[in-house]
Amino acid sequence: MAKEGDYIRIITEDEEFKGILMPRPELLEKGIKVIKLDTGYNLGIDEKRIKKIEVIEKYTPKVHKKRKISFNKKLPTVSIISLGGTISSKIDYRTGGVYADYTAEDFVEMCPELEKVANIRARKALSLMSEDINPNDWKDIAKIIFDELKTCDGIVVTQGTDTLHFTTAAMSFFLKDLGKPVIFTASQRSIDRGSSDAFMNLICAVSAAAKFDFAGVASCLHGTLNDDYCILNRGVKVRKMHTSRRDAFRPVNEMPLAKVFPDGKIEVLNKDYKKRSGNDCILDNKFEEKTALITIYPGMDPEIIDFYIRKGYKGIVLAATALGHVPVLVKKYSLEQYLKKAYDKGVAVVIASQTLYGRTHPYVYSNLRKLSIGLRCIYAEDMLPETAYIKLGWVLGNTNDIAEVRRMMLENIAGEINMRHQPSSFLY
Amino acid sequence: MDEKKDYKKIGFRCGIEIHQQLDTHKLFCKCPSIVHDNNPDITFTRKLRPVAGETGEIDAAAMHEVLKGKYYAYEACSTSSCLVEMDEEPPHPINEEAVRIVLEAAQHMNAKIVDEIQVMRKTVIDGSNVSGFQRTALVAYNGHIETSKGIVRIQSICVEEDAAKKIETTKEYTKYRLDRLGIPLIEIATDPDIKDPEHAKEVAEKLGMILRSTKVKRGIGSIRQDVNISIRGGARTEIKGFQDLKSIQKVIEKEVDRQIELIRKGKKINQEVRKAKPDFTTSFLRPMPGAARMYPETDVLPVKASFDGIEMSELIEDKIKRYVGKNKISPDLAKALAKSDKADLFDNAMKKFKNLKSPFVAETLVSAPREIRRKYNIDISSMADKDYIKILDYIDKGMIPKDAMLEVMIDFTKGKFDISKYKGISEEDLEKEVKDAIINNKGASTGALMGMIMAKFRGKVDGKRVMELLNKFS
Repeated sequence: MAKEGDYIRIITEDEEFKGILMPRPELLEKGIKVIKLDTGYNLGIDEKRIKKIEVIEKYTPKVHKKRKISFNKKLPTVSIISLGGTISSKIDYRTGGVYADYTAEDFVEMCPELEKVANIRARKALSLMSEDINPNDWKDIAKIIFDELKTCDGIVVTQGTDTLHFTTAAMSFFLKDLGKPVIFTASQRSIDRGSSDAFMNLICAVSAAAKFDFAGVASCLHGTLNDDYCILNRGVKVRKMHTSRRDAFRPVNEMPLAKVFPDGKIEVLNKDYKKRSGNDCILDNKFEEKTALITIYPGMDPEIIDFYIRKGYKGIVLAATALGHVPVLVKKYSLEQYLKKAYDKGVAVVIASQTLYGRTHPYVYSNLRKLSIGLRCIYAEDMLPETAYIKLGWVLGNTNDIAEVRRMMLENIAGEINMRHQPSSFLY
Repeated sequence: MDEKKDYKKIGFRCGIEIHQQLDTHKLFCKCPSIVHDNNPDITFTRKLRPVAGETGEIDAAAMHEVLKGKYYAYEACSTSSCLVEMDEEPPHPINEEAVRIVLEAAQHMNAKIVDEIQVMRKTVIDGSNVSGFQRTALVAYNGHIETSKGIVRIQSICVEEDAAKKIETTKEYTKYRLDRLGIPLIEIATDPDIKDPEHAKEVAEKLGMILRSTKVKRGIGSIRQDVNISIRGGARTEIKGFQDLKSIQKVIEKEVDRQIELIRKGKKINQEVRKAKPDFTTSFLRPMPGAARMYPETDVLPVKASFDGIEMSELIEDKIKRYVGKNKISPDLAKALAKSDKADLFDNAMKKFKNLKSPFVAETLVSAPREIRRKYNIDISSMADKDYIKILDYIDKGMIPKDAMLEVMIDFTKGKFDISKYKGISEEDLEKEVKDAIINNKGASTGALMGMIMAKFRGKVDGKRVMELLNKFS
């Protein structure tokens, strides 16, 4: 029986093909055998035509010797924690399969520059697809970082890009009183290609973790479409704003903290951050899973709110329109009676804006006042809806007292509320 | 070396590889396939890093280059490039029209097609592909064409992306333009069945003819030929950069001479890529690349391939035969017409207009524009097919005399066409004009009278009729 990677001969009625048997991705049409010819090309052969398959040579994957990395006492130590995602996956060029297995040696081999920046330690903690990460993972990730923090000068975390900003927001609340940088990075282009953004992202992230005088959680990915510098964005003020561009991670409602250049230069753009300290970080990774994030849109069925209330949800974030509106006029579409029910049941309702940019306002229009004064909805200032969701889950993990929930939601804890907006931060 | 060489005796082996741009939008995005020199409105820079090979090891020399800081600069126009070329958006599904064109060409070359087309990433490290790889897919194999010196087998027929064009090299960076990147190419590789240099030219011509019979781009840079040559005791060299088909034969002859000479002197011949120069000699371009690393392009789904529903266009050589045989057009004109982009228009016109003779229509479509350029230095190549049809329709209905053709075409191009200008004068009026001319110009020769009348009524009267009247009344 031929296995993937084996060198085989396929014999059909009138033809014969020699090559490497390739894997067939799941979900693709069945009934096709794919082989890689000696020319390098793959070829799909209809299985109905195949009379016989002979194995010419069995495949044994090559194990390559890893280079040793030395320890340099003069350099800071950075721990790279990999959670999965493109940046820490390798391709098996023979079969085209992708697998995740990254050691410190692999990172250094991929980016030799790292050796001059820091002593690299690597830890493959989890292997998660970004879209599958859930609140339990956040709790685990926080614990892993918390443990690792004690023995290094800074941490780099790699994960898939899709929900990276949820993870950075969660870590911003879960890791209290950080005295060191925790820098998240990722890549938008797979690292089998020489043009991948992974290399510069990793170098810049390690540079920032090693020597930037910053304590907190931030993301570090491309600032532009050029491979020129990365931008460091506060973990609670960053969002993935493009499906595929390498500069997809943008700051929202503030300037990036800094530009980080691959040669190690760091240019601060926003001085509003904490410096490194000897603080012992406190792990506070409680999270109320019965927290929801709902997007408001014209024509939506307002009963969705009732659904969550009946399921016992403790808190709901509404990504409302602009300043913080939801439909209230027409009975069929009005959220009013359901928000009233939420209020009566003690369910916290937080209002953020789906415009992402700008601040919500509880009083400008009478309908806003209806929500803010009448129904006691919590207007979350300029917090991103995703950040508001993470924060609400974390707050509810700590308290059920609605007055305390309100107080904590409106208190700026990790830089999630910026009370002074400058024009330059819009669409940065 | 003047005497004719016996190429069989010297162990001559030669195969051709042809890259031809297809006339459709780009292969993995919806950008139009246009190469132009507009000012770029997009610029960006990238670094390309060597990545781990099959063994998991990274090439040290290549990494050294990167660490020195060399980078690639790219420029593009938003009219012809999008995020896909910039490697900032995943590829769209493969352009189905491009696949159809390649399948059609494959059928003309009697090739077998794969059951399923698998798109590959071929690693390219010179920056000419922003992504660091070229997307390419094998579509057909084991074909053949017939030539005067026997069958030449076709090894493979692929569809692939064209690369970006290099425009500047400095110590710090290499600069490329992106408009060409992603234009679909058909790549045809023959087996080394070519018998001699003259045969190479014939094979290149034949393949070119087949390709031009399908929907491919025309003009400079749209087709590129590479030739692989070796002789016994020599080494395989690949020659690129032929100016035109005519030079192929001479360049191969000179390359064979070069190898013979080196063997005679006992020198080693390197496997290498050489560049054809205008004087038909070649110069070293780069070492022969090793087998390129190819691995699957997982962002593009494989495509089922079948000849079903592929419309086969008539080959140019068959068209020429038909024009000469059925349409009674002179061989030269038939050839020019068949090779031009007016062949379909001609066939349509012949179906539509019953009063027009085929040589006249062919001349209108092929010779007239050339004549206008030569005589009046006016370029009418932009004239639309529907305008040709309009003009032919007027002539078919007798509303415009044939003699007025050039003038009408010029007016059309300038947007000044007015049918009333060409309205012929009535038979009685013409008779009167002729009589008056004879009376008023006593003693003038028939030729002179003819000239006078034609000058006055240029484009409105048929010269043949005027001559008849002159002969009748003088």
